[in-house]
Amino acid sequence: MLAIIETRKIFAGETEVAKIVFYVLALIVLVIFFVGVIRRLVVYNRGRRAPNFAWLRRRDPRDVPEVSERPTVPSSLVTIATNQTIIKTKHKVGVSHWLLFWGFIGLFLATSILSLDYDVLGNASRIITGHTYSFFQGPFYLAYNAVFDFAGLLALVGTVLLASRRWFSKEPQLDYTRAQKPESGYSRARIVIGDHVFVSGLLLILVTGLLIQGLRIDGEHFPSFEQWTWLGYLIGKGFAGLGVGAAAARAVHAWLWWVHVGLALAFVAYIPWSKAWHMLASPANLAVRDFSNVRRLPQPPADNAGYRSVDDLTPKELLGLDSCTKCGRCHVVCPARTGGAPLSPRDLILDLRQLADHKHGIPLLFDTETRPSPTGPMNEDGCLAGEVVVGETLWSCTTCMACVEICPVGIEHVPLIVQLRRTLVDQGAMDPTLQSALQNIATQGNSFGKSSRMRARWTKGLDFPIVDARTQHVEYLWFLGDFASFDERLMDISRTLATVLHANGISFGILFEEERNAGNDVRRVGEEGLFEMLVEQNMNAFAKASFDKIFTTDPHSFNTLRNEYPAFGLDRPVLHYSELLAKLLFTGKVAPGNLMRKVTYHDPCYLGRYNRIFEAPRAVISALGCDLVEMPRHGVNSFCCGAGGGRIWMDDSVLDERPSVNRIKEASTLDVDYFVVACPKDYAMFSDAVKTVGIEDKLKVVDIVELFAEATLSSALVDV
Amino acid sequence: MHIVVAMRQLADLVEELEVNGDGTDIDRDFVKFVSNEWDEAALEEALTIKDESAASVTVVALDEPDVDQTLYAALAKGADRAVKLTGHDPSAWVRTRERAQRIASFLAHEEFDLVLTGVQAADDLDGQLAGILGSTLDIPHAAVVVGVELTGSSLRVAQELGGGLVGVSELELPAVLGVQAARQAPRYASITRIRQAMQTQKIEEQEVSLEVTTPQVTVRRLYPPEKQGGATMLTGSAKDVATEIVNILRSKGLV
Repeated sequence: MLAIIETRKIFAGETEVAKIVFYVLALIVLVIFFVGVIRRLVVYNRGRRAPNFAWLRRRDPRDVPEVSERPTVPSSLVTIATNQTIIKTKHKVGVSHWLLFWGFIGLFLATSILSLDYDVLGNASRIITGHTYSFFQGPFYLAYNAVFDFAGLLALVGTVLLASRRWFSKEPQLDYTRAQKPESGYSRARIVIGDHVFVSGLLLILVTGLLIQGLRIDGEHFPSFEQWTWLGYLIGKGFAGLGVGAAAARAVHAWLWWVHVGLALAFVAYIPWSKAWHMLASPANLAVRDFSNVRRLPQPPADNAGYRSVDDLTPKELLGLDSCTKCGRCHVVCPARTGGAPLSPRDLILDLRQLADHKHGIPLLFDTETRPSPTGPMNEDGCLAGEVVVGETLWSCTTCMACVEICPVGIEHVPLIVQLRRTLVDQGAMDPTLQSALQNIATQGNSFGKSSRMRARWTKGLDFPIVDARTQHVEYLWFLGDFASFDERLMDISRTLATVLHANGISFGILFEEERNAGNDVRRVGEEGLFEMLVEQNMNAFAKASFDKIFTTDPHSFNTLRNEYPAFGLDRPVLHYSELLAKLLFTGKVAPGNLMRKVTYHDPCYLGRYNRIFEAPRAVISALGCDLVEMPRHGVNSFCCGAGGGRIWMDDSVLDERPSVNRIKEASTLDVDYFVVACPKDYAMFSDAVKTVGIEDKLKVVDIVELFAEATLSSALVDV
Repeated sequence: MHIVVAMRQLADLVEELEVNGDGTDIDRDFVKFVSNEWDEAALEEALTIKDESAASVTVVALDEPDVDQTLYAALAKGADRAVKLTGHDPSAWVRTRERAQRIASFLAHEEFDLVLTGVQAADDLDGQLAGILGSTLDIPHAAVVVGVELTGSSLRVAQELGGGLVGVSELELPAVLGVQAARQAPRYASITRIRQAMQTQKIEEQEVSLEVTTPQVTVRRLYPPEKQGGATMLTGSAKDVATEIVNILRSKGLV
C-alpha cells in the first residue's frame, strides 16, 4: 500500500519552460526591487548630516518621557507590531490595517518558507547528496496550511475593508484638494490612481492566491488531509458546488496561477518606486523617530541660514518624507488648514517628497502631482522656501504640533517648517507686523516694543513688594513672559497670581527689567540668531539671580526654558504655574471653597501636547469644586488657539475663520459657563474670540489662577 | 553710481526720556539709542536702487551711542561700506547744523552721485539736515521725497506736497534728498546676518575736525510740554453749542 505523504507538488501544472520563465521573471523582479531599495538607501545615507547626527540618538537620563525622550527600539517595535499609532485616532481604519499588516507578514513568511524548502534546501541537497530533501510535508505541511490560511483570511478582511474605504468613503482626509492652490492649477489624478493601484493590486493578489488554492484542491479531488488547508478547501468546495469539476479546475488553475504570480511579482518590483515603499520606510521611521526634535529644535545647516534645497534635508527627514502614506490625518487636524490658511502638512510633505525623488532621479510611480507650469513640487531649480513651498504656506504654521502628534508614521513636520522659515527670515521675506515684532524684541527684549524698564510695571498696585531675585535669594524665579508683563488685560492676572503666591507664603522673585522674551516663538519663526541672543541675555540675567527653580506663566516660555535652555547651560528645574497651583492644593496649604461652576478647560499646545502637562490644571480645577466638562478635542488632541509659532505677530485677516473662533464654537456646544485657560496668549486670543462669536455674556474666559484666587482668597474676591 | 546714506542715532522714544540736571538736554546716560526711522527709509531706497542698477552704497554716521549696531545692520542689509565719523563728543547732542557740516566735510573727499538721508528726525523735526547738506555742498536738494527714479544723468523725484498732492521734479546729479518714505518697507536684517557682518566687515573710522566752529544756538531750558488746561465739552442742542462757540471766539477776540 502506498503511504500518503501530506504535501503538494510545487509547480504542479507547469512545464519546465514555464518554470524557467518564472525564475527569470523572479530574478528580474528582485533586481528591480533591490535596485530601488539600494537607491533609496543611498539617498538617505547621502542626506545632510549634522555634526551630532545619529540614526538613534543616545538616550539621556534627563530626558522626559514622551516629551524629550527618544522611544527605545523595543518600544518602537511594539508600536509597529500593534499598529498603535494607526489605531489610536481611527480605530476601524487602524484595525483593518493591523489585519492587513499581519496577514501579509504571514503570507510573506509562507512564501519565504516555501522558497527556503524548494529553492534553497531542495537545490542544495540535490547538489550535495544527489537526493532532493524537503520538509514541506507531513505535519509541517498541514500546520503550515492551517496557519497561513488564517493569515490569508486576516489579509483579505483587512484589505477589503481598506479598499472599500478608499472606494466609497467621503472623509475629508481622503480628499486631495490642496490647501494652497497654485494659480496655474494642478492635478492630483495620478496620486488617486496610485492609491487605487496599490490597494486594488493587493486585493487582486490575495483573491487570486486564495482562488488558485481552492482550484488546486478541487483539481486534486479533495484529498482529506487538505482539510487542514481549511480556507482553500472551503473555496474548492465552493467551486465544486458551482459545478467546476477537477479537470476544469486544473485548467483554470493553470492560467490563474500565472495571473497571481504575475501580479505578485509586479507588486514586489513596484514597492520601492511607489507609495508601497511606506511598507518599509514607515516602520523604519517609527523606529528612529525622536520626540525631542520638536521640543528642542535642531540647528540650522552649517553653511546656510535655513533649508534651501533638498540637499539640506537630513537622512531622517528624507526617510520621513518617504514614510508618508497620505493618510491625511495631519491635513484634518491642522488649525491653519481648518482656518482656511494655505497650509496642509500633508501637502508640504508630498511636495517635498516629489521634488526630492525627482532631484535624486528616482521615478515615483503614480504618486505625483502634475501642473501645467513648473511651480511648486515641479520647480526643480527653485528655493525650497518661498518657491517650492510658498512663503504664505510656511508662515501659516502655528507650530501647534497637532500634525506631529497625529502622524501614524512619526513624521516631524514642525522642525522642517522652521528650517524653511529660517531661509525666509534670512531673505527678509515676512509679514511687516512680524518684522516689527522681531525688531522690537531685538532692541527692547519684548514684542510690545515697550521699554524694558516697563516690564515690572504690572507690580504697581500690589500691596506688597515683589522680591528682586537679583538681590535676594528666592525659591522660585517667576519668568512672566511678554504677554503677562505688558498686556493690560493680563497684568491683572499677573497681579492675581502674585497675590495668591504671596498669600501662601511662596518664596518667589522676578528679574524686573532684565527678563527678556524667552525666545520660544522667535526660534519657531525662524530667527535663530535673535533666539541665541535672547538666550544669552536671559542666561546672563539668571546668573545674576539666586533661585532654586523657575516657574513660568507662559507655556511657550516654559517649553524653551525646559527643553532648549539646558543646552545653553540652564540647570534648574522649570515648572508651569498650573503645576505650582496644584502643589499648593495637594500639600494641603490651602483649603479652597467650593466654586460649583461648570467649566471647560483648553489645553495650551505648549503645555499639553509639547510638555505632557494635562493633569495639573485639571486637578486644580476639580479641587476648586468645578465641574469640568471636556471639549471633544482635548488633551493631546487639543485644538490650537492660532497664536503659536509667531502667528500672534502676524496678520490673521486672511483666514476664513480664526482657529480661536473655531475653538470657542466647539466650547459653546457644551453646557458650561467658563472657558478656563492656563496661558496668557490663550486668554488674549479667546477673549477676542468670544466677542467675535458674540457669546461673551454666556461663556466667560478665565485664567485658572482667577478661579484659584476666588476659591482660596475669601477676602480678595476676584471678579470672575 | 555711488549713493551715500547719512544716518543718525536718536534716543529711543519708547523709553521715558528725562531732562538732565542742567535742564539743557535729555539725560543721555540711561536711554537706549536707535537709528532714525526716516534714515532707515533712505537706506531702503538706496538699497532698492542698488538692486535695480549697479550702484554702490556707503552709509555714514557720526559716532553716537550704539551707532555700530546701525552700521552693521546696514552692511547686513546690503550696504557696501560703512563709515563712522569721529572728532566730536560722542555722548553729546550734535545739532543738525554741525552734523551737516561734519557729513559735508566727509563728502568733500568722496566721489558721489546721490546723498540720501531721512527727511526728519526727532531732534530735527524741521528736516534741515538734507537742506543744509545741499547748500553746503552746493548741489540740488529735495525734501519729503517719496519716490526716486534714475533717468540717465538726472533724477526724477516725487515729493509729497501739502493737501495730498505729489509733485514730480527733475534734479541734476549729484543731489541730496530728504526721504520721507522708500518704495517698500525697510527690509529685515536677521541677527545672524548682522553678526556675520560684524565678523566679516569693518566699519571705517574717519576723524573730522571742523576748522571753523559752527555757530550754535544755546539751549537755555529744555522741558517736557507743560500741561495745558483740559478741553471743555460743550453740551446741549446744536443751536446752543453754536451760540456758545461764537461767544468763546468773540471773547478771545478771534472774530
